[in-house]
Amino acid sequence: MPGIKQTAVSVYAWLERRLQLEGPVKDAALHKVPRNTASWWYVFGSAAFTLFFLQIVTGIFLALIYVPSGGEAWNSLMVLNHQVPLGWFVRALHGWGSNFMVAVVLIHMAQVFLFGAYKFPRELTWIFGVFLLLLTLAMAFTGQVMRFDQDSYWGLAIGAMIVSRVPWIGGGLVHLLLGGPIISGATLSRFFTFHVFIVPGLLLFFASLHVWMVLKLGVNEWPMPGRIVRRSTYIDEYNQLAHQDGIPFVPGAFWKDLAFSGAVLAAVAVCALVFGPNGPNGVPDPSIIQTVPKPDFFFLWIYAILAYLPPQLETPFMLIAPLVAIAILLALPFYASEGEKSWHRRPVAVLAVSLIAVAWGTLTQLGTTTPWSPHMEAWSGDTLPVNLVRAATPLVRQGANVFQEKQCRNCHSIGGHGGQRGPALDDVATRMTLDQLRFKVVTGGGNMPAYGKNLSPAEIEALVSFLHTLHPANEPPAVNPASEGISTTHASGGEETPAKAGAKR
Amino acid sequence: MRIPVSALVLAVAVWPAGCGFHPPLPETVPRPSEVLNFGTLYQQNCSACHGRDGSDGPAIDLANPEYEALIDDATLRKWIAVGMPETQMPAFAQSNGGMLTDAQVNAIVAGMRRAWSRPNAFSGAVPPPYAQTTGGDAQRGAKTYQERCAICHANSRQQIASPAYLALVGDQSLRSFIIAGSPDIGQPDWHHDSQDGNAAAPLSAQEVNNVIAYLASQRSAAANVSGNSPSPAAVDK
Repeated sequence: MPGIKQTAVSVYAWLERRLQLEGPVKDAALHKVPRNTASWWYVFGSAAFTLFFLQIVTGIFLALIYVPSGGEAWNSLMVLNHQVPLGWFVRALHGWGSNFMVAVVLIHMAQVFLFGAYKFPRELTWIFGVFLLLLTLAMAFTGQVMRFDQDSYWGLAIGAMIVSRVPWIGGGLVHLLLGGPIISGATLSRFFTFHVFIVPGLLLFFASLHVWMVLKLGVNEWPMPGRIVRRSTYIDEYNQLAHQDGIPFVPGAFWKDLAFSGAVLAAVAVCALVFGPNGPNGVPDPSIIQTVPKPDFFFLWIYAILAYLPPQLETPFMLIAPLVAIAILLALPFYASEGEKSWHRRPVAVLAVSLIAVAWGTLTQLGTTTPWSPHMEAWSGDTLPVNLVRAATPLVRQGANVFQEKQCRNCHSIGGHGGQRGPALDDVATRMTLDQLRFKVVTGGGNMPAYGKNLSPAEIEALVSFLHTLHPANEPPAVNPASEGISTTHASGGEETPAKAGAKR
Repeated sequence: MRIPVSALVLAVAVWPAGCGFHPPLPETVPRPSEVLNFGTLYQQNCSACHGRDGSDGPAIDLANPEYEALIDDATLRKWIAVGMPETQMPAFAQSNGGMLTDAQVNAIVAGMRRAWSRPNAFSGAVPPPYAQTTGGDAQRGAKTYQERCAICHANSRQQIASPAYLALVGDQSLRSFIIAGSPDIGQPDWHHDSQDGNAAAPLSAQEVNNVIAYLASQRSAAANVSGNSPSPAAVDK
């Protein structure tokens, strides 16, 4: 044993003599940080870094099997899912690692912002952090493209369409992005290069500088209300905090980083196990029109915004808003490099983060449910509640057929099924009389097209008869006694309509 | 030190992965044109009008074995592929602007037969033919209607002589209803004439023709009076 130990020591000494890493590593590990920075609030940056390494490791495994070609990518994902032992698990780890990384980076950023850690002398750390956020999002987007399926294909198409709107050079940029004017064989190779070499290389570079600066400038002290940052005095004040009441970074603060990173990795593993890998869904073939492509969760908010924007605002918003947002983030440490760090004295900062979080959550929720989008298969696939059909008269049943066949269901739900673009119709009869229903169907209004020219008089009669049956059992349909008699008599040529009969009952 | 705890959690989480544990792996998503599973095709294309399991939709009861026995494969395929004139049944074949391939239409026909056909659906009786071969007499049809159909259909809730209804239901569709019935709404077949299913004399093929002629006369009479063309055949679909 002593022999082995002696050998190990001499090997270490041989290496150390040449590498000379012991000094810098010891300096880095044992440098003193203010005691109150050993907090669970300070663990997100290291967790993001850990997740980045998880992505590198799992990414390398995936790259062994994945074929970055338009014709083969989808099949190689199926091979990973179904044939390679634990291939599905590595895919799931990589996918969930990506979700967690975006989330942790955003939380880290919010925490740094609320703790005022971007102020003097850490302006450049923040700026590189902004680059790291953008690069993480770039990894997420290019990673979504790697999962070459319907969502990926159309996500890419939308990305290219946004780029194409840049004045003068839009076409050239699309060419650069896609490796040609359209999504083709070259596109995937190009995005593979972005995803595997360029963006991770930049991430590694900026992340290293980011960590270097954290080591050199010190971990941001816990903000105290009233402790104002001033360029002239801050460094001395910080050194005083770190040295008089400081603890060595390792293990004083580091164990919490390690524990949290371990917990995050465990959470990624549990999600990967329980929920499995993401897709791939259908083959990325633009000739398949029965598809409802959607971006991954971190871009759902953009998807929702773009869906709600009026057409004339689309181009300015797409091209200007991101630049403004990035400019604000980059300018922040220069605009507010001194002053209060504590969130107790920065109500605007707290409000801004709250507002962004609520807006992000709301837009993501809207992006998940896509209430603006018709459900294109509802007319042929969503059944009507059985009790509604069983109670229907022959004419009402035909009206229900018209309702389905004319695809009203794609925008209007009944019984919780169908589109949400128009109002749900479960109780439409309590809101509108037969005449009002007929008028609405024929002339449209609001966002609803006019169907007067697309429906025969009989179809309109049947349809409104059906709509007039849509009311809760304990709430009668709306009736307009003044016009009811005239309109039903006219429409039915003297025959009694179910609605009229219903009114009598 | 809590590091080993998190390491343990990780190990416990990863451990089942090596033991044949599988999460819900996403299934291979076929091209929509390659879906030949009847259940999927029916659910996506037919269930909205014909009901979840062939019954209880606003359109005709497909799970009715008598309807399955009455209509032959070629006709069924035709209605699915090109749509049924004078009804709300649209065309589903790609050749007619729909989304289904010929193979998918065939898969639906075969699936319907497997799911809902029953041997000897008519219990040995011979129904009138599916397609009308000879003309009908509207006046006699009116009489038959009063005698045999009005028992239920005089009731306003079962009113079928309204022009709006008749304009949306073609002769062939009415014929299928009369002959095969529609069990999901209690419409008896040609063999029965009472709601409790007590058999009386079945309608003859000629009586069926006559009733159809009578109902057709109600439809055209209303069209002449209103000046409208209530026939969906004349409507730009």
